Amino acid sequence: MSKPRGYKQRNLLMMTMLAPYIFLLIVFGILPLFMAVLEVPKISIANPDGGWDAFKIVLQDFRFPTALKNVLGFMAYFVPMMIIIVIAMALMLDVKTNKWSKYLRLAYIVPASISGAVAVLVWWAIFEPTISPIKSVLHFFGINSARQIWQTENLVYLIAIMTFFSMAGNWILIQYGSLQSISTEIIEAARVDGCSAFQLAFRIKLPLIRKYIIYMAVLVFAGGLQIFVEPQLLNTGVYTGIASSWSFDQLSYELAFKSGDFGGASALSIILLVPSLIGALVVIFKTDMFDDKTIRDKKSSDKADL
Amino acid sequence: MRITKRAAAAVGVLAIASSALISMPSQAANPSLLIWVDSPRLPGAKEYAKIMKGKVDVKVELHSQGDLLAKVQLFNRVKKGWPDVVFGPPNDVAVLRNPIIGNAREISTLLKAQEIKNFGKLNDWCKGSDGKYYCVKNDMAQSVLWYDTALFAEFGYTVPTKMSELFAIGADLAAKHPGYSLGALSDAAAYSSYFWPSQCPLNNELSATRVLINSKSPKCTRVTAALQPLIDKGVFYPGSAFSPEYIKIAQEGKLVAHIGPSWFGEFVLRPASSFNIPTGRLTAAPMPMWEGETVNYSGEWGGGIYTISPHAKFPRAALDFALFMVGDKRNVVDVVNPDKSTGAPTFPAYIPGNKLWKAKIDADTYYKASPYAAMAAQAGKVWTGVKPVRYDADGAWGAAFAPEMAKSKDIQKALDAYATYTSNLAQQLGYEVTTKK
Repeated sequence: MSKPRGYKQRNLLMMTMLAPYIFLLIVFGILPLFMAVLEVPKISIANPDGGWDAFKIVLQDFRFPTALKNVLGFMAYFVPMMIIIVIAMALMLDVKTNKWSKYLRLAYIVPASISGAVAVLVWWAIFEPTISPIKSVLHFFGINSARQIWQTENLVYLIAIMTFFSMAGNWILIQYGSLQSISTEIIEAARVDGCSAFQLAFRIKLPLIRKYIIYMAVLVFAGGLQIFVEPQLLNTGVYTGIASSWSFDQLSYELAFKSGDFGGASALSIILLVPSLIGALVVIFKTDMFDDKTIRDKKSSDKADL
Repeated sequence: MRITKRAAAAVGVLAIASSALISMPSQAANPSLLIWVDSPRLPGAKEYAKIMKGKVDVKVELHSQGDLLAKVQLFNRVKKGWPDVVFGPPNDVAVLRNPIIGNAREISTLLKAQEIKNFGKLNDWCKGSDGKYYCVKNDMAQSVLWYDTALFAEFGYTVPTKMSELFAIGADLAAKHPGYSLGALSDAAAYSSYFWPSQCPLNNELSATRVLINSKSPKCTRVTAALQPLIDKGVFYPGSAFSPEYIKIAQEGKLVAHIGPSWFGEFVLRPASSFNIPTGRLTAAPMPMWEGETVNYSGEWGGGIYTISPHAKFPRAALDFALFMVGDKRNVVDVVNPDKSTGAPTFPAYIPGNKLWKAKIDADTYYKASPYAAMAAQAGKVWTGVKPVRYDADGAWGAAFAPEMAKSKDIQKALDAYATYTSNLAQQLGYEVTTKK
């Protein structure tokens, strides 16, 4: 089979479009990974003899089990909360579009514009009984001191709430978008067949956006694993020490910048890469998100439609 | 392809141009000095740069206290960029002296005999076990007893000279004047005000490889046993003095006394944004003595230091800056701070500078009586069992002690949590931890 005409141009076009991504991937992904691997065996205060023991030293660090417990505890609330509420909100937004829909969409995006750093301050103020806008509610529940709320063991819930509010809005809109991609013919057909709104949501819409949900789950999982900003800000700026080395990323930061152990920090980063990489591979190979075949099928069916 | 060639040519030209810029010979004949300070020291450092214009090329950079270690390690990688002289927290000297970091030079050989004499005992923190000095102490943060003279008169209290007398005041407040406070105990306050003056063995470096940490020592348990009932009765606050809740208590005029560092007056008790205690009420008394002791020791909370890099090309010029900050009238008394106050905000650890500072604080009408005498009496009484250590002993108060205090309000439990945390940290950084000397 001879190569079709314009193949070269198309190839060049593809490379041009890929180039910025490849460049960023190399500079901010692959290169740092290699640097991290090279960094691990270097001599540091914690690893005075150098060598690959750095991995062992990090895994045996007395803060590692606590960080593991915290991050897993946080994700146990955060990940399901994100998926269930986001999907529910997106489905509700999609039920019937009317003139209020665009305002609702706007309302969802507003909390998302509050970044993690600002969210910490917002929630600090909300839960500080001396200045809180919901003072009376807090007093009603017997909360007269911020110390009753801001305790290390409550952080799994508090950080889950903060992170949820700063991330949910974006995802609601993305999933709303994925619902919009469902062909109106299918929805019409389901309605004609007597589908109720609930049946439509659970039997028709959800299965059709399944891959987007898995995609979101993996990204939310990877993001949760790398939680840093919220606990770090709480720890350094609001309640000193409340979340010291609370998460893996914080521990890595602590190792590098407080104990001067860049090797240990690199080792921990490499360890953290493993679950995120597995997540990414699951999305690529176990879902049809990036499946060539579906894309080809879709194209040929598009052509057939024409 | 033509485009790529042109691009390559452009890159080449740029590269040549930038290398030409880099290789331009420096025209400066004066010694140059890169100084890193935190914001309270910034006005003084800028003043120094102005004074030295034409003699020393001084460059002042503001930097946060916490990031020095990381920056130095990065500078070590690229073998350039080290600041010549840095203001930092007191523990930095142990970390910076570590050969792997290697950024605190010995300064005994730079100091003149008279200058060493001028420090008296105030620079003992910087003296290594080899008898040489490795830093210049900027200020003493010795604990004193701050108290409200008006409330003392109203309630009929006399200034306590023994710890038992202070705790008796606490019991009386709980019984007759509920809501009134003797201070906040989280952060490093409990340490510098109570555990350290009581000689509770925490962070007692015995040698470069051994550290004594024992929260169950009688010198610690006498503190926790005395404080616990008063914490339970609300006389001592189990959180931070900087929390909005405690600031509110203090602003309502409920703070009777607070053992705190010498800088507490200017930074915590006085400012309108902080405790805002009105003019003409406060003063300081020497530390009350623990029963069975012969010295009323102080602890320290802060008390920063200047370290000089071994990479500094003009180490004596760097030292001159540190001495200017602690001993020169133009900084100690005259420099104008952003809040329009003048002079160094903290108790200078250098006798000539300290004398100048005395005049300034004595003339301050804010205090009912000058707190200087109490500060001076305690300055030489900081218990020297506590030494600079290579781990973050100060950060551990926030990381281990404060969370346990917030949770259980059990101060012995919180102290044990601190001891466990620092023992782990110390072992990780190459110390053998012992509970007995």
